[in-house]
Amino acid sequence: MGPVTRVGNGVFTVEVDGRSETVYVAGPAHDRWVFWNGRVFRGDFRENRSGGRYAHRAASLRALTAPMPATIVKIHVKQGDAVAKGQTLMLLEAMKMELPIRAPGDAIVSAVHGREGQLIAADALLVEFAV
Amino acid sequence: MIRRLLIANRGEIALRIVRACRELGVESVAVHSDADVFSPHVLAADRAVGIGPAPAAESYLSIPRVIAAARESGADAVHPGYGFLSENPSFAAACVDAGLAFVGPPPSAMARMGSKIEARAIAAAAGAPIVPGDTPADQSNAGVRAAIDRVGFPALIKASAGGGGRGMRTVRDAGDVDSMIDAARREAAAAFGDGTLYVERLIEGARHVEIQVLADNHGNVMHVFERDCSVQRRHQKVIEESPSPALTAGLRARMADAAVAVARAAEYRNAGTIEFLVGDGQFFFLEVNARLQVEHPVTEEVTGLDLVRAQLLVASGEPLPWRQDEIAQRGHAIEARVYAEDPEQGFLPQAGPLLLYREPNIPGVRIDAGVVEGSMVSVYYDPLIAKVIATAETRALAIARLASALRAFPILGVRTNVPYLLRILAHDAFSGGTIDTGFLDREGATLVSVDDKEVPAHVRAVAAADDDTRHARAADRETQGRWDPWGP
Repeated sequence: MGPVTRVGNGVFTVEVDGRSETVYVAGPAHDRWVFWNGRVFRGDFRENRSGGRYAHRAASLRALTAPMPATIVKIHVKQGDAVAKGQTLMLLEAMKMELPIRAPGDAIVSAVHGREGQLIAADALLVEFAV
Repeated sequence: MIRRLLIANRGEIALRIVRACRELGVESVAVHSDADVFSPHVLAADRAVGIGPAPAAESYLSIPRVIAAARESGADAVHPGYGFLSENPSFAAACVDAGLAFVGPPPSAMARMGSKIEARAIAAAAGAPIVPGDTPADQSNAGVRAAIDRVGFPALIKASAGGGGRGMRTVRDAGDVDSMIDAARREAAAAFGDGTLYVERLIEGARHVEIQVLADNHGNVMHVFERDCSVQRRHQKVIEESPSPALTAGLRARMADAAVAVARAAEYRNAGTIEFLVGDGQFFFLEVNARLQVEHPVTEEVTGLDLVRAQLLVASGEPLPWRQDEIAQRGHAIEARVYAEDPEQGFLPQAGPLLLYREPNIPGVRIDAGVVEGSMVSVYYDPLIAKVIATAETRALAIARLASALRAFPILGVRTNVPYLLRILAHDAFSGGTIDTGFLDREGATLVSVDDKEVPAHVRAVAAADDDTRHARAADRETQGRWDPWGP
C-alpha cells in the first residue's frame, strides 16, 4: 500500500496493488465517516481504539434510545419482563410512519421510560436491560 | 401562458419545477418552512416566501398559508409537486377559487381519483380489469373483518385516501386481523386525515407496472408508455424503470389503451399515472395517481420528453405539445431512490448534516436532488436525498451504469440505502428481470446483509491518516497547487 495523498477537500487517494483508490473522509476523528466504492464506514479509526460501530452495538445491549423525535404509540413491556431478540418492545410514530423498537438480544427489562402518547426527543432513553 | 408559478413543495421536485420554469421563461416562486430558509430550492427560485414553522402541518400542508403566499407573491399559477397537498382536492379547489391556475387535474377529477374506492368503480366502467375487492359500508372492525372474509385470504387492507403504502396491511390469516385493521386505520387517519378502509385480494407474484398519461383541455388524451416499479419495500418504491422487462408489445398496447380509457372516463386533465398489477400475461387496475410521480424522470429519459413543461403548457390552456404517434421509447432508463435511512436498523429514517456530498458526473446519468453538501437532512420531511437515473441502450447496460454511478456517489454524515441499492442491482433475480412486488420483502435479510463489515486496510489507513487538523493542514501545504486548482 502506497502513501495517502490528499487531493481535495475530504478526498484522498491511496495506491493498492498498483491501482489508485479514491477515498472520501468527513467528520471528527472520534466519529469519522469514510466512503469507498459505494461502501460507508463509520467509527474511530485511530490506533488502539475499537470502531465506533462496535462500541455502539455493545451499548445497545444495555439500553435503547429513540432514533429520532417521535411519539410513543404503544409500550409492550414492563420492568422485569424477559424479552427475546427481535421482540417488539415499543411502537413509536414519527413522520407518519410506525417505528417498532425491537430487542437487540435476549435480555431482562430493567426499566421502561415514557408513557403512551408522550412526545419524546431524539436519543431519549426508552428501555434499559439488566446486564 | 403562466407568468409566475408558485411551487407548493420543497426538495428535489421543487428544483425540478424551477428548472422547467426557467427554460419556459416563467418566473418561479418557492415557498419554505423555517427549516428550509437556505435550501437549494429556495435559492434557485426567482422569489421565495416563508410559510411557517418546520412541521409540515403548519407550513407545506397548510392550504391557507400556501394560498396567502401565492397572493402575496403575485403568482398566477400553482404547481403542487408530489406528496404534501398534491392530491388534496380542497387545495386544488382553493387555488381555483383564488383565481390561480392549478397545475394538475381539476378538483372534481382529483376527488374521483383520490377516493380509491370511486376510482375502482370508474376504471371498471371504463372496461379496465380490476382486482377483486370489497368496500365495507360498515367501517367498524367487524365490518372490515366481514369484507376480508368475502374477499378471502391473503387480503390487503387499504386506505381509501391512501398512497405510498401508508395505511396498508397484508393479512394472511384470521389470527391478527384486528390489530392489522387498527394499525391501518391509525396510520391512514394520521397520514391522510381519513381512516376509511377497503379490502382487496392480494395478488401474489405480480409486478407493479404503471402507465403515464397526459390530457389537455382540447380533448387530447395520450399515454407516455410504462414504468415498472416492482422493486418495492413495504409498498414504497425503491427502483423504477422503463420499459418494463415484463411486458410484451401486445400487453403494453392493451394496458396503454385501458389507461387512456380510464383517464377519459374520469375527465382527467394534465399528467397522471394509472397503476396496474401485472401477472401471468394479465393486468388489473390498481389506482390513479393524480399528480406528477417521483419516478417521472425514467419516462423523460426513454422518451426525450419534458413532462413538467407539458404540465405547464396544459395548465396554461394550450394543447399537448406532442401527438401519440410522434413519441417512442428508446433505450432503457432505471431510477434508484437514495434515502437517508439505515437498512441495518430496520430502515430507520436518518437525520443530520451532509458532511460530504459529491454527485458523480457521468454521461447517461441524471441526478435529481434537493440538497447540497452542508444541507441538513431533517426529521420533518421525507428522507429522500436524491434520485439517480441511468440511461443506456439496453437494460443490462443501464443497470451497470446505475451501479457505477452509485459507487461514485459519496454521501457522508447520514446513513443511506446506497449499499442496499447496490446489492439489489447485483441480485440475479433483479438482473434477470423476473422479480415481483414481494421480492424486497422476501429477500430483505440477505440484501441488508452485514457480512462486509471488515474495513479494508487502505480505507483504515486513510481514515487514520487524516486524524487531526494539523495533519490535514500539512497535507494541504504538500499538495497545494499540484492537485487542487481551486485550493486556497
